[in-house]
Amino acid sequence: MDETSEPTSDPGIAAISRRVAIGGIGAAAVGYAILGPRPARSTGDGRIRLDYWEKWTGHEAAAMQAVVDLFNQSQDRIFVNYLTMGGVDQKAKLAIAAGDPPDVLGLWNRNLPFFDQCGAIQPLDDLRSHGIDASSYAKAVRPLVFRRGSQLAAPSTPSSILLYYNKRILRECGWDPEKPPRTTTEFDEMIAATTRFKDNGDVQRAGFLPSDPGWWSWCWGGFWGGTLYDERTGQAMVDSPQNIAAYDWFQSFPRRWGLERLRAFQGAPVDNPTPFSNFFTGRLASTIQGPWLPMFMETEIGKDVFEYGATFFPVAPGLEDEPPYGPIETDILVIPKGARNPEASLEFIAFTQRQENMEMLCDGHAKPSPLASSSESFRANHKNNAVVAHEELLQSPNAYTTPWISSWDEFGMALGSGLDTIWNLRSDSARRPLEEVQAEVEAILQRAGARRERRGQRDPWLDLVEGA
Amino acid sequence: MRHDSTSTGLLWIGPWLLGFSIFTVLPVMLAVWYGFTDYTLLEPPIPVGTDNYTRMLDDPILGTVLWNTALFGVLSIVLGTVVSISLAVLLSNPVRFQSFWRAAVFAPSVLPLVALAVIFKLGYDPEVGIANTMIEGALGWAGVRGPNWFGSGFWAMTALLLISLWGVGPAVVIYLAGLRDVPKQLHEAASIDGVGRWGRFVHVVLPMISPVILFNVIIGIINAAQVFAVPVLLTGEGPERSTYFHSMYVYDNAFTFGDMGYASALGVLQFAIILLLTGAVLLAGRKLVYYRGA
Repeated sequence: MDETSEPTSDPGIAAISRRVAIGGIGAAAVGYAILGPRPARSTGDGRIRLDYWEKWTGHEAAAMQAVVDLFNQSQDRIFVNYLTMGGVDQKAKLAIAAGDPPDVLGLWNRNLPFFDQCGAIQPLDDLRSHGIDASSYAKAVRPLVFRRGSQLAAPSTPSSILLYYNKRILRECGWDPEKPPRTTTEFDEMIAATTRFKDNGDVQRAGFLPSDPGWWSWCWGGFWGGTLYDERTGQAMVDSPQNIAAYDWFQSFPRRWGLERLRAFQGAPVDNPTPFSNFFTGRLASTIQGPWLPMFMETEIGKDVFEYGATFFPVAPGLEDEPPYGPIETDILVIPKGARNPEASLEFIAFTQRQENMEMLCDGHAKPSPLASSSESFRANHKNNAVVAHEELLQSPNAYTTPWISSWDEFGMALGSGLDTIWNLRSDSARRPLEEVQAEVEAILQRAGARRERRGQRDPWLDLVEGA
Repeated sequence: MRHDSTSTGLLWIGPWLLGFSIFTVLPVMLAVWYGFTDYTLLEPPIPVGTDNYTRMLDDPILGTVLWNTALFGVLSIVLGTVVSISLAVLLSNPVRFQSFWRAAVFAPSVLPLVALAVIFKLGYDPEVGIANTMIEGALGWAGVRGPNWFGSGFWAMTALLLISLWGVGPAVVIYLAGLRDVPKQLHEAASIDGVGRWGRFVHVVLPMISPVILFNVIIGIINAAQVFAVPVLLTGEGPERSTYFHSMYVYDNAFTFGDMGYASALGVLQFAIILLLTGAVLLAGRKLVYYRGA
C-alpha cells in the first residue's frame, strides 16, 4: 500500500474506484467510437440505401416525396431515404469536405458553378444510357446544367418569371386586360393609370413595385437587354448603359412616390401577411412573380375568386418584338463527389427525369416542366393558366439567369448593397452606385481568376454551352 | 505523494483535456494555418503566404464590418453598463417581491437567441409592432410616427442596440454581488461627512465595484466583438451593410463564399483585436480600478 492511498479510510476501495471510473470512461469512449451509430448503407431487406438531401418543405417536399415513393415501389434494389433540410448547400459543402456526402443532393442552379469548379460533383453523362441528353430539355434550361459538353446536373423544377396583373383593376382603370403592356413605356402608363393615392398623398394602391416581393433584384437590367456579366469575356457589366437605365427605372419608384410613403405602404398591416398579400388584396395592380403564384392564390384566397392575367415582363422599347426576355432558375439534382453509390443515384435521377414523373413533380410545385416539351394533359390540368407562357420563356434565347461564376454569392451581395443605395435615394441616379458595385465585383472576379490560376483550372468562359 | 495526486488529477480531467484539445486547440491551430492558405473547403488548401492578410488592407467591406462592430460594441457596452448598474442598484434596495424582480431581470437572458430574434422581429414591425405602438401611444399627439426600424441603417443599428439590453441579466447579478460587498461603514462614514446619495454612489459605490465593472466590460467586449445570431436573423446585412458585423463576414466567407482561407485570417484578426482590447482595458484598469486590500 503506498502513501497515496492512505488518506482514505478504505484505501483499496478508493483506489479501485478511481481506476474503475477512469477505465469506465475510457472504455465507454472507445466503445462509442468502435460500436457507435453509423449511417446505414443498406436497408433491412438488403436494398441499397441512398440518402437524398433536399431543401424543400411543405407541399414542395411532399411533391418530391411522391416521386421518391414511386421510385421505391418501382423496383426492389434501391431505397431512397429522402431528407429535407434548410441551408442544404452549406451543409452539403461540409459533408463533402468531411468525406461523407449524401448520395443525391438537391441544390439551386446558382450553386452549380462553385461545386463544379471545385470538382465536388460527378458528371451525369451516363444519363445518356437512359435516353437523356441536352435535347431532352427546354432550350434555356440546357446551359443551366450543361458545361463543356457534359451534363453536370439534372433539373428538377424550373421557374420562369412573368408579370402577373389583376384584370379587374386594369379594366376599372380603362386598360384592356387582354392587351397588357409590352414595353416599359407602356408599363409606366399602366402603372400611372392604376395607382391610387389617399387624401394625404400616401399610396393606397400601387400599379407595380419592383421591391414587392423583391426576390429578383438582380434581374432588371435584362429587360433593357443588359447583363451583369459577359460570359464570353469573363467581364463584369454591372455599370453598362442598359443596367444604368434599368436601375434608374428601379429608382424612379421611390422618387415618384416618396421613399417614406413606399415604406409605409409596404409595411402596412394586411390580413395573413405573405409575400403575395399586396397583390391578392388588390393593393398592387401587378407584380413580378413565378409560376407558383396561382397555387398560393388558391390556398390563401380560394379558387377562381381572383381574375389574374400573366404576360412576359415588359421590355425597353425596341425589344418588344424579339423572343421574350425574363429571368429563369431551376432546382437541380447532383451526385456529390464521394457519393457511395453513384450508379444507383444515377438510376434514381434518371427516374425523376421521365416525363410522367417530372410532370408529377412540377405539377406539385405548380411550375413548368424543364423538359423539351410537356404533355397536353400537364398543360391542361396545370394550376397556373399561364403555364404555356412560363414554358415559352424556358425556350427563349433571351431568357437569362444568374451569371455562371463560382463567386455569384459574393457578387450578388455586392449588388444588393448597391441597390440599397439606389432604392434609398442616396444617389442622384443609379450610375454611381453601379460603378461602385462594378469596382467591387471586378476585385471579386480578379480573386476568382487568381484562384483558378493557382489551381490550374479553366476559365469558365471557355466552357460556354458546349454540347448544349 | 504529490506526484501521484497530480497524475490522478490529470487522469480525472483527461476526458475534458482530450475534448478541449480536439474541439478547441486543434481547430484554433488549423484556423491559423488555413489563414495562410487558399482553401475552398471542397478542395485541398494551397499555401499563399500572407496573401489573406495583405488582402485585408484593401478590403472595403472589412472596414465597414469593423466600424459597425466597433460602433455596436462601444454603444452596447456603455448602454449595457449604465442599465445593468442602474438595475442592480434598484434591485439591491429592499422592495416587496425582491426575489421576483431579480428573477424577472435575469429570466430574459435564458431565452434562446433565435426566439429572441423572432419576438423582436414582430416587436419592431413598423405598423403593428409593440415598439411603434408605444412610441405613437406616447408621442402620437405631437405627430410623431414610429420609424421603419429595419428600413434604414440608423434605425436598424438602434434596434439591435436596444435588443442587446435584453441580455443584461447576468451582468446585473454580478453587479448585485458587487454591491453587497461594499462595506456599510463606508456609506455611514460618507453620510456623517454630509455626502448625499449621488455623491455616495459616485465616490463610494462606483470605486468599490470598479473590479466588477472591469470584468463586465471585458465580457462585453468579447461578446460585442462576436455579435452574430441576432443580426443574422433580424436584419441580415441591413440597408447598405449597416448591420453587417465582423462575425457575419467571417461566416459568409467561410460557408457562403467558399473562402475558408480568408475567413480563417479574419478569425485570427478578430482574436487579435479581442486580445489587444482586453489587454488595453486591463492596463487601463490598473489605474482606474480600485482593488480593496491590494
